[in-house]
Amino acid sequence: MFSYIIRRLLYTVPIVFGVMLITFLLFNIVRGDITDQIAGKEASAETRAEIKKEYGLDKPLFFNTEHKVFSKQFWDSQFFNHLLAAATFDFGYSYNDREAIWDKIKRGAGPSLALTAPMLVGEVSISIILALVVAYFRGRWIDNLTVLICIVGMSLPFLSFILFGQYFLAFKWGLFPVYFWPDLSVWQYTLLPTFIGIAAGLGSNLRFYRAVMLDELGNDYVRTAFAKGLSPAKVLFKHVLKNAMIPIITQVVLAIPFLFLGSLLLERFFGIPGLGYLMIDAIGARDFKVINAMVYISAILFVVFNLITDICYAIVDPRISFK
Amino acid sequence: MKKKRHLILLFAVIAALGWGMFVLSRSNDKIDENEMVMYSAISSKPDSLDPATESSVTSEIIVKHIYDTLYDYDYLKRPYVVVPVLAESMPDVSADGLTCIIKIKKGLFFSDDGCFKDGKGRELTVNDVIYSWKRIANIKNLSPSWWVFDERIVGLDEFREYTKTCALASDIDYSREVEGLKAIDDYALQVRLKKAWPHMVYNLTKGATTAVAKEAVDYYGKTIVNHPIGTGPYILKQWNKESYIELERNPKYNYGYYPTEGEDGDFEKGLLADAGKKIPFIDRVYFVKIEEEPPSWFLFLKGKLDSSYIPKDNFDQAISDGKKLTPEMKKRGIELKMYRLPDTSWIGFNMDDPIVGNNKPLRQAISHILDKKRFIDLFANGTLDEAFGLIPPIMQSYNEELSKTPSYNVAKAKELMEQAKKIYGGDIPELTLKMPGTSVSERQYGQFFQKEFDKIGLKLNIDYLDAPMYFAELNKGQFQMYFGGVSSSAPIAYNILRMFHSKSIQSGNHFYYRNEEFDRTFDKASIMVDCPERTELYRKCEKILLDDCVAVFIFHSVSYTLSHSWVENDKPSALQYGLARFIKIDSAKRRSYQAQY
Repeated sequence: MFSYIIRRLLYTVPIVFGVMLITFLLFNIVRGDITDQIAGKEASAETRAEIKKEYGLDKPLFFNTEHKVFSKQFWDSQFFNHLLAAATFDFGYSYNDREAIWDKIKRGAGPSLALTAPMLVGEVSISIILALVVAYFRGRWIDNLTVLICIVGMSLPFLSFILFGQYFLAFKWGLFPVYFWPDLSVWQYTLLPTFIGIAAGLGSNLRFYRAVMLDELGNDYVRTAFAKGLSPAKVLFKHVLKNAMIPIITQVVLAIPFLFLGSLLLERFFGIPGLGYLMIDAIGARDFKVINAMVYISAILFVVFNLITDICYAIVDPRISFK
Repeated sequence: MKKKRHLILLFAVIAALGWGMFVLSRSNDKIDENEMVMYSAISSKPDSLDPATESSVTSEIIVKHIYDTLYDYDYLKRPYVVVPVLAESMPDVSADGLTCIIKIKKGLFFSDDGCFKDGKGRELTVNDVIYSWKRIANIKNLSPSWWVFDERIVGLDEFREYTKTCALASDIDYSREVEGLKAIDDYALQVRLKKAWPHMVYNLTKGATTAVAKEAVDYYGKTIVNHPIGTGPYILKQWNKESYIELERNPKYNYGYYPTEGEDGDFEKGLLADAGKKIPFIDRVYFVKIEEEPPSWFLFLKGKLDSSYIPKDNFDQAISDGKKLTPEMKKRGIELKMYRLPDTSWIGFNMDDPIVGNNKPLRQAISHILDKKRFIDLFANGTLDEAFGLIPPIMQSYNEELSKTPSYNVAKAKELMEQAKKIYGGDIPELTLKMPGTSVSERQYGQFFQKEFDKIGLKLNIDYLDAPMYFAELNKGQFQMYFGGVSSSAPIAYNILRMFHSKSIQSGNHFYYRNEEFDRTFDKASIMVDCPERTELYRKCEKILLDDCVAVFIFHSVSYTLSHSWVENDKPSALQYGLARFIKIDSAKRRSYQAQY
């Protein structure tokens, strides 16, 4: 198992390198350089040149071919400097407001998790319970109605959930705060967006878990359990749920890296100062350094949680072994 | 059972993670109800709170609450008048206009901060002003405000050249003498100019030109952008970059008073009720970052925000018959305030482009096919001023005569197109317009322009670009036409006409326009004090631009803002930014409204 983990961790190197390369290409070659945006429209050519120098944008993109291949200067380029900075987790300062990027990430992680972690727990718990119930009543009106509601929920744009919730639940009926406000604590202003996030994600989750449970309900051990006279609750929540662990774990563990990225639209509409907001701000401002840091962290988290998923498979299912 | 425990454990971990973050995330203290508090919305975060490096409007708003400038606009008087703030009086200018003495008030102190000895803010002197202007000249600071001093003060350009020779910012010697900046004593600054600079006081209202303490810059280094230490009415209490800024009354601020004079009608509106009283009235100011329109509007209607602009989608809910509040707004006690902004938007032509640059009838034809009134009705509910020339109505040099000859004339455009085709030698090929954005609004503008161009058989390709690509292409001259504009920080035509000078090519003149007569006329006007002759010269400059058809000027902005009845002394300004100091809030009235709605 140990060698498996080491091998999987080594795989992360080319994956993360590839992600960094693609991000760099997208933001530096396809979309041009950022100097003019930093300088403003009235800046002189000399100011623009100084900006390039200050941010290392005057360096070649990949290789400094004026120097020998094995010299240090050959690798003194924009891409390799970014790579080196990422490898040491020294992301530097934002182009946009010159704030240390780590400070931004640390500040945003809390509010993002305060929104997304309860959302994930709520979504998964409610979906699994409802999925077990509707799968048990397969083909009956309760199942058909749930499927219909799920499809309607999935068809509605996420934004419509936000606008509906913000207008009716917060503005019209005053049940929740409309938006972040300086005298509110985090849990107060993340409550409504959490409910909205759960409601919006319920349709797809419920349909997925319903399919998983239906698969399980068709198995012989379920029929045997009922034949033995076990109550439906016991069959569903003890036997079926236990055997449906693999897809549940896959779904849940792989969602964890995304918790750190926050929820872009919810954060923007409810003023939650999280990482989703930070990311979209950075994309809008073409702050490559912030984007680079966020993509790098996300890539690492994604690969690590993929590995954790695989390890969990072996823990919950003894038939799975590491090779 | 074991598997179920794992699932429960997993959920518990996620829940604990979330809960941990709840606890770790700062829980805000309740706001003291006895304090006078103001809540404002900002649509973007400030780029910097260091005067030398700030460039956005949001930054200017915050900076001007914390730092005072030597001069600023009078809060009440219209047309806009510049008055001394840190300065004791208006500058004493020599007869040749080349030397001026600026005296500052005595007994002005920086706010207390750890950067000063014993944490006590020291007295402001003119040496702080000299140091701050040198910081703007220092190329290592990449100050976007260098244009204010560029080729103005004897020796300052040389200081900038010197900073280029220093490898590191820390190598720069700020004690190096600048010939044109001399401290006569701690309170009198002598400024020697390369040429007369009659509009200097307007430029010295900009937040960038304020006085920064060297101790603060040395102490905070690069993070000075987050640590503004000024002499103004407020100090920075908290800056949560992604959500809000909290300012608190500066206990050391002792020199501000509410104005005693205003324009006609101000007394009747109650705007002089606090004349001569010490300011600020408000103890605490919150600027909450709200980028989306729906929550901003809801917060205003809920009485959380004290004032608001009117989102396009809510215009009919707020305004009826063009300029009146709807009964619903009146019932809520909301007031409407309208004021003109010193800006102009246009479609600019690249005069170096072989097709549009060499074909004046083509440019004129385009200028006649744009139905500006329809554009304004469609995209701004008719709330903008149609532009007949470059200079906006808020400025003294605005030429009302131009409005008597409306430009929209399709028949004339068709005639001009025939001439344009002869010059080109055939049908005009597809033209390209660069748009500064990719949002729905820009795309709607683009579709409108395409339809208008189609009236005379012109095919128009629209290139929607994000900001860096847009500026890069403008700077490189890689375009035929662009949609853009200018907003002036002063009520003088100089600031916007400057963009058409041949010396401004690549630093504002994105028309690549060169006209000797324009340059000569502008240069002559730029060193004149305010007089009818200068106004005529500025109008002549504008006429030259219109004759050459360098751009199609489309609109000038008019701001529509709403404020609640508990906001007192509220007079919006197009040019002044540190306004919270003059405003009063009736907190009881606000609470009663909030309870009702």
